[in-house]
Amino acid sequence: MMEAKKKTGLIFFPAYDWEISPTHPERKERLLYTQDQVLEEGVLDIEGIREFKAGLATEHDIGRAHFCVPDVGSRITESHNVSAGGCIEAARLVLEGVVDNAFALVRPPGHHAMRVVHGSRGFCNINIEAVMVEWVRRHHSRIKKIAIVDTDCHHGDGTQDVYWHDPDVLYISIHQDGRTLYPGSGFPDEYGGPNAAGMTLNIPLPPRTSDEGMLHVMEEVVMPVIDDFKPDLIINSAGQDNHYSDPITNMSFTAGGYARLNDMLSPHICVLEGGYSIESALPYVNTGIILALAGADYSYVREPDLDPEKIRQDPRITEYIKRLSGQILTLWRTRAGLRPERREFMERSRSIYYDTDGISENQNEVFRFCDACPGVFKLDSAASTGYHILGIHIPHGACPACRDRGQSWYEKPGGHYYAVYLQDMDQDLYMVRRM
Amino acid sequence: MILGIDIGGTHTDAVCLDGRGIQATAKAATGEDLVDSILEVVHRLGIDYTALSRVVLSTTLSTNAIVEKKYAPTGMIVSAGPGIDPRGYFLTDAFLLVKGAMDHRGREYVPLDPEQVKAAAGTLKAKGIHGLGVVSKFSVRNPAHETAMAALLEKDFRYLSMGHTMSGSLNFPRRMRTTYFNTAVMPVQERFVESVQKALTKLGIHAPLFFLKADGGTFASSAADRLPVETILSGPAASMMGALALNSHTKGAAFVFDVGGTTTDMGILVNGLPILEPGGVDIGGVKTLVRGLKVMSVGAGGDSCICLEEGALRVGPHRSGPPACMGGNSPTPMDAFTALGESTPGDARKALEALAPLAGQRGIAVDELCREIISVMAENIRQKAIAFVDEVNSHPVYTIFEMLHPEIVKPERAILIGGPARLLKPFMEESLGMECEVPEHFMVANALGAALARTTAQITLMADTQMRRIVCPELHMEKEAPSTLSIEDLKSIGIRALHDHAHILGISDEIEINVIEEQSFNMVRGFNTVGRNMRVKIQTTPGILPLWREQ
Repeated sequence: MMEAKKKTGLIFFPAYDWEISPTHPERKERLLYTQDQVLEEGVLDIEGIREFKAGLATEHDIGRAHFCVPDVGSRITESHNVSAGGCIEAARLVLEGVVDNAFALVRPPGHHAMRVVHGSRGFCNINIEAVMVEWVRRHHSRIKKIAIVDTDCHHGDGTQDVYWHDPDVLYISIHQDGRTLYPGSGFPDEYGGPNAAGMTLNIPLPPRTSDEGMLHVMEEVVMPVIDDFKPDLIINSAGQDNHYSDPITNMSFTAGGYARLNDMLSPHICVLEGGYSIESALPYVNTGIILALAGADYSYVREPDLDPEKIRQDPRITEYIKRLSGQILTLWRTRAGLRPERREFMERSRSIYYDTDGISENQNEVFRFCDACPGVFKLDSAASTGYHILGIHIPHGACPACRDRGQSWYEKPGGHYYAVYLQDMDQDLYMVRRM
Repeated sequence: MILGIDIGGTHTDAVCLDGRGIQATAKAATGEDLVDSILEVVHRLGIDYTALSRVVLSTTLSTNAIVEKKYAPTGMIVSAGPGIDPRGYFLTDAFLLVKGAMDHRGREYVPLDPEQVKAAAGTLKAKGIHGLGVVSKFSVRNPAHETAMAALLEKDFRYLSMGHTMSGSLNFPRRMRTTYFNTAVMPVQERFVESVQKALTKLGIHAPLFFLKADGGTFASSAADRLPVETILSGPAASMMGALALNSHTKGAAFVFDVGGTTTDMGILVNGLPILEPGGVDIGGVKTLVRGLKVMSVGAGGDSCICLEEGALRVGPHRSGPPACMGGNSPTPMDAFTALGESTPGDARKALEALAPLAGQRGIAVDELCREIISVMAENIRQKAIAFVDEVNSHPVYTIFEMLHPEIVKPERAILIGGPARLLKPFMEESLGMECEVPEHFMVANALGAALARTTAQITLMADTQMRRIVCPELHMEKEAPSTLSIEDLKSIGIRALHDHAHILGISDEIEINVIEEQSFNMVRGFNTVGRNMRVKIQTTPGILPLWREQ
């Protein structure tokens, strides 16, 4: 008899009536075969596994994670409300103890969406994990430390951006090397802002890395770091485009490998991200992940066309990954030394491209390097759409000085902005002032 | 004239009706031999047998056979391929696994090995097994392996079922079990139909015989021979359909409570139709693909035991024998009704005797205690009813449209049937805060439900224009799909097929067909649309025969 050792909640929302465009990878058909496989395997009948209805994220929920320009309503579709709402529902089920863990098998994805949203990047408009994490922090204050392990094949530059300055959110991304794949970022030297140095860990893997390399990274880097950090909540951004059959990437993972990864990580919440091999990978990977979360036997889950010989990892890749793993673990262990020399304000400028919508953004950030709290920051953002905004983020646990600084930036922004945004996390206040 | 017979665990009820209304009703005790019980109740009706146009039976025959495992040893040959280990779902050691695998689109990637299949059959035959089920994973997408196994072995087994003909829905573990149970009860059903037919013929009844199914519809006995598993749980279906026939409203949502001795079975009617269990019904704790009504049982009935627990009055959920007023040892809600002076078959003195000590312990008068008992019982039912509605409304949806426009079921009335219905009514009205209707003839609601239920069938069509294939598992039909096939074309093919194969499905008279689900996806590979993947479910409208509504 098939049984689950853990109670696992499944939020399945395939959005069968939503697509970016009829031939876009993010299309109506994407989760159809996954649903077929999950139903045919009888996964939902396994005692302990239960399907729940998705929820709807509100504008307020989204405001905790994003400055949407010009406004939330014009940047998202209802499908985003549901996919973010599905994640929130997954978190709610776990935190209220209804289930031990949950999988938000939702679309569209979110991990390329940064704090400022002018449009869609990498098929993402809003960061569904970030919206969920901020909902969790607001509604379950006992959750202080959160780890997000992003196993999508693409670097989760959006999630990295949202938590760049956050010392309580550990973001680990394992992805195909940015020199060979969109979005071209995610190198080990991107390790977080001054007050959160080492809280972002990027592990770029060479093309054709197989389960062996991925699981090595899990065993030798991710698990030791997680054990060390002792998070209150573990999230897996479960992109499935590392699969050997994925049409837009070059990795060699299998469904069995994904299941083992989740078995090892034992996340509280899994969130589907990318993965566009909709017939050959997703049905098997998702079945494997659900079974692994539930603590059920996944050893027979296998792709019909799997040929382990064809995807065997080159020994040179194995060597490379071993070296890289050692370096990343060292980086984590010596992270105290990564903090830059203290100056009250630190600035950085970036150009951000929204590939899905063809928008360019120039961003200038001013960060207060505070020693009493994570530090307030403001983002001056001008996009090719003509919108120029200022966004101010007063972080969780802000000190009085940072709070005052944030308030005064909001009240006297200087410059000519279309609008000024304020995120006051402790007050749960998200304001927009049209100028 | 239609004759409806409901063979319950204790009573067999019969009702005879025509377009003008109920012509006769009768009741008899259910004995060991169900055929005798049928004959007895038919005899008591005292009707003109030659006027009958149809006889409908609702029986516990297959339900009991399955729950009590009273069936001949049955074999299963299963092909699965990778996925969840199918052996975890095998019910007996007569389930044998063979090579062969299909994927979700019905593409074969491991062929069947005929020699291995024959060897498995040999093993089963050596055990003296005469009934065989053949099932493969994703057979509803491509039944080739099941069909091939059946072709190889049809001469070797007297009873044979193929998984894809049970239901067009996906769910391999349920398909295995449904096929197993179906094959197992085929001989039971066959013997029963044979003796019922013989007995009816002897009486001069030549009207066609129908059976009530779990979904609240009926089908001809020829179809029941092939799919006897569909007749499981027809008891609750009979009461829901009876309530539907007797209820004066057809719009809005209403609870149905069938109050029995041990339990109260509840269901919900929405706009004149009962709600179905989405994945299929459970029998004896095993999940099947059998389409059936969504019902929930509450451990609250006329015979529920009553006790004091830490000062609080508890009613149910168990029954520990008959009510005191009927010769039992402990007080029950039926005793409370009796003690309140309601007309029941019980002995009021015995009821009072049983209740007095409890009233003493509580320091209240007996009649106050009685009202409290019945209020607690009504409250128990109310709580389960709320949970039931929540469950119905929490059903996941997969489109934004349904997410933003949820169809919330909110019952506004209740229909009470079953023995204690009339007595319970004022208490239920108070507890639920809604109008409760106890219809006339509520005592024979089940037989009436059986008599009046329409014939039903459902088929599933799946078209994959890239693979040029249309499959309709329930009709065992495969067709070539033209590359230009549209969803409208697929629906027309389905509707025509349903008409053409009505005899196979056992449906007749005045069928109305409607499409209950349709999905169409462009299949995009690279940046090209390579085909369309379309799914359609078509059913004959369930409900009550129009002749009754026209009264």
